[in-house]
Amino acid sequence: MAKEPKKQDAEEEGGGEFDDFMADISQEIAQRVESLDTKPKAKPKPEERKKTPSVPDAGVIVDWPNIADRMIEEMR
Amino acid sequence: MSVVNYGTREITCKIVYYGPGRSGKTTNLQHVYSQLPEERKGKMVSLATDTDRTLFFDFLPLDLGTISGFATRFQLYTVPGQVYYAATRKLVLQGVDGVVFVADSQSRQLAENIESLQDLHANLAEEGLDPRTLPLVMQYNKRDLPAGEISPIEELDETLNFRDVPYFSAIAVNGGGVFETLRSVASLVLSRLSAPAVGES
Repeated sequence: MAKEPKKQDAEEEGGGEFDDFMADISQEIAQRVESLDTKPKAKPKPEERKKTPSVPDAGVIVDWPNIADRMIEEMR
Repeated sequence: MSVVNYGTREITCKIVYYGPGRSGKTTNLQHVYSQLPEERKGKMVSLATDTDRTLFFDFLPLDLGTISGFATRFQLYTVPGQVYYAATRKLVLQGVDGVVFVADSQSRQLAENIESLQDLHANLAEEGLDPRTLPLVMQYNKRDLPAGEISPIEELDETLNFRDVPYFSAIAVNGGGVFETLRSVASLVLSRLSAPAVGES
């Protein structure tokens, strides 16, 4: 797989190798970008959107001091 | 590790040249820099210091222009090869997308090559990067030295390239193998562009 190194020719000074590199890389990037799905996903129709489930007022905790302590306690 | 930014339509790839001291990492970047056309020639930054508390690395930004609608930039870094610059090597490896391991082909440098490769793996692991999957290319440099002083390519590859990644012989001092190596690691990095998008969907 190893390739023999090419000797640097005087006439290649100043961009010849870089131009070859750019040509290869540009092609590679173009292929990769094309393969990426960059289109935004279609939004669901309004009727298909999930509605936030309503919670009866009785089930809503409006005040729970020391909630962090309670959660830690629950996890033990 | 952020390679592609859809919001700003940018592709940024960070490639780090790793290897033991005096293996030719900076020489690789200097050759790339020498080949850049004037209009693309930014500044190659080289920082040197005696202590590990200050940054010590080479940085070459490659602005490739807009390709397929994406502003594309490659950032090439080298790390200091000397053992005592360990902290700097870790810093430079942060957010790396691909690595070129520049090995010194001299037979007497084999132990240093192995030590540096182990150091690379350890630092990648510390950064949370998988050394087994990160894009990596091996470069066996200084192939112009007398045959009696350098190890055969096969021997170097057998010892260092256990992942069986692409490898290149090089004479970085005259540019031989430099762009072939860069092209290979760039290709590996770019081939991973699509992977996150598929996995996240």
